[in-house]
Amino acid sequence: MNPKHIILDTDPGIDDSLAMLLALASPEVQLVGISTVHGNVSGEQVTKNALAILELAGASHIPVYKGCDVPLVKEPLISPETHGNTGLGYAQLPEPTAQPQAGHGSDYLIEQIMSRPGEITLVAIGPLTNLALAYRKEPRIAQNVKEVFIMGGAIQHPGNTTALAEFNTYVDPHAAHIVFHSGMPILLTPLDVTYSCIFTPDDLKRLQRIDSPITKYIADSTRFYMEFHDEYQSIAGCVINDPMTLALTFMPEICDYQTLVVDVDISTGVGLGNTFADFYNYEKKPANMQVAMSVRPRLFMELFLERMEKLAHSLS
Amino acid sequence: MSTKRIIIDTDPGVDDALTFLLALASPEIQLEALTTVQGNVSVEKATRNALSVLKLAGAGHIPVAQGCSHPLIKEPHKSGEAVHGSSGIGRSNLASPKSAPMNLHAIDYLIERVLAERGELSIFPIGPLTNIALAIRKEPRFAKAVKELVIMGGAIRSGGNVTPLAEFNIHEDPHAAHVVFNSGIPITLIPLDVTYKCLLTAEDVERLNRIDSPIARFVRDATADYMAFYKQYEGFDGCALHDPLTLAAILAPELLTLEEQHVDVDISGGVSTGKTYADFMKVTKKPANMKVALDVKGREFVELFIERMERLCAGVK
Repeated sequence: MNPKHIILDTDPGIDDSLAMLLALASPEVQLVGISTVHGNVSGEQVTKNALAILELAGASHIPVYKGCDVPLVKEPLISPETHGNTGLGYAQLPEPTAQPQAGHGSDYLIEQIMSRPGEITLVAIGPLTNLALAYRKEPRIAQNVKEVFIMGGAIQHPGNTTALAEFNTYVDPHAAHIVFHSGMPILLTPLDVTYSCIFTPDDLKRLQRIDSPITKYIADSTRFYMEFHDEYQSIAGCVINDPMTLALTFMPEICDYQTLVVDVDISTGVGLGNTFADFYNYEKKPANMQVAMSVRPRLFMELFLERMEKLAHSLS
Repeated sequence: MSTKRIIIDTDPGVDDALTFLLALASPEIQLEALTTVQGNVSVEKATRNALSVLKLAGAGHIPVAQGCSHPLIKEPHKSGEAVHGSSGIGRSNLASPKSAPMNLHAIDYLIERVLAERGELSIFPIGPLTNIALAIRKEPRFAKAVKELVIMGGAIRSGGNVTPLAEFNIHEDPHAAHVVFNSGIPITLIPLDVTYKCLLTAEDVERLNRIDSPIARFVRDATADYMAFYKQYEGFDGCALHDPLTLAAILAPELLTLEEQHVDVDISGGVSTGKTYADFMKVTKKPANMKVALDVKGREFVELFIERMERLCAGVK
């Protein structure tokens, strides 16, 4: 089977870095390149982190393009309390030796999607600023991208950044609005499913049986993430949203989906950034995405652990 | 005298076309390029019109870069053609341009030029601010490298012309205006408060047509229906020189009364969406982010406009 050609648009970020590792460990996908975007930490830092993670996994041949530094319209917001000041928790990776490519992340998306119509699967796991900018500059990417997997939103689940809004859509709700209305084939992975998938201290112990820079990295980064989840959300373990989104590109049976009309509140009121589905289709609009609404958590977690074990063995 | 080098970001549009002609007629100005944007008409028509008007004025060498086809967030309006005609420039039937726009998006053209000549280029946005906002967001160094923006847009104390509160350019892409107003770029704003005081009349157009010139005929054909629109909807004779008035900032700044104010735009989605408001009473304590024109010697500007057009028609720059 030919692997899916994947571009990750990402703001690493602890769970972003785990999505990168899962992509590198999975033969079902080929990671073509990475575009970075502000989000969990600054645009500079996420770019450095993406390069450092690729080097950790022996994949520095994969190109990294730096994208937007700030949201389209709103003031910037980053999340060091969740991901640590560097964005990677307690992990101390060496300074990357590679540099990002010349060119903007949004132009990289346009160039790849337009030169290979119907072939690129985009996995967008940060704020959607790069994708929105790319679409406004080149609207034809909506018809030429194969599919767009988005980690973001909270449909019936409460928000994790405001009472109503999930982090990625709250940071750049205007970009999400643009993408949701673009006509791209979207599959959304909201908090409704990701919060059922907890990476537990026992899962970590299982990985740590292998002595490898990969398992050491996962331990150091997720230890911080677990402390955050314990302190703020009373969860023993941590929610790894982004690798789950990546997994759905090749193992769709992890979730069940609904075809829905989903929009995002950009009104600047208390609901700013809230993603909402018109379940009864009051507005008679055509559905604009598939939304993962229920999940088989252990199916995903076993996949993730096996793949990380495999990667760790190959790099131990 | 040093000439001022400008790029006009535009959605032609009748008064946009008159702005290019005024720039070309003025030795104080060197028009470096036009970048186009969806607004009065689709971006494809805007580009075509830009090329055609440049050709008419013998300025086909000036580059045109096509920009955004859609506002940042809002759906595009559907009413501009009622004002500017289905072509965008009234009844004028300009020949299809043989020239083509550059093979570079307006956002990237603006970024490239501005970074290559930091602090040198003034941009005159006279349509929705979509291109400028995206250039700011794509290239964080852009805002510091632009010399200034002179923007036609907004209605401060004046009523709006598309909603009771909002002016067309700002209402068409309020989110872009919000980004631009808060970018830190030095801005001069030319709102409806002053542009409605600069009315070109049928007599003015007749006076210009005493010169036998394709440019004079173009001004007549372009403005005929525009004037009829103003007569029908707004109840006065003549048409407002909204966009050309931006060039007064170079040609005759003494005609404008400018105030330093903090101006922002409502993006809440409520009835005042697109409304530009100045914090006259300093209730927000935010520092001024622009100079806004609140009065103008209108007839003097119209006279200047006609004189320059006469010189252009007579083949003199």
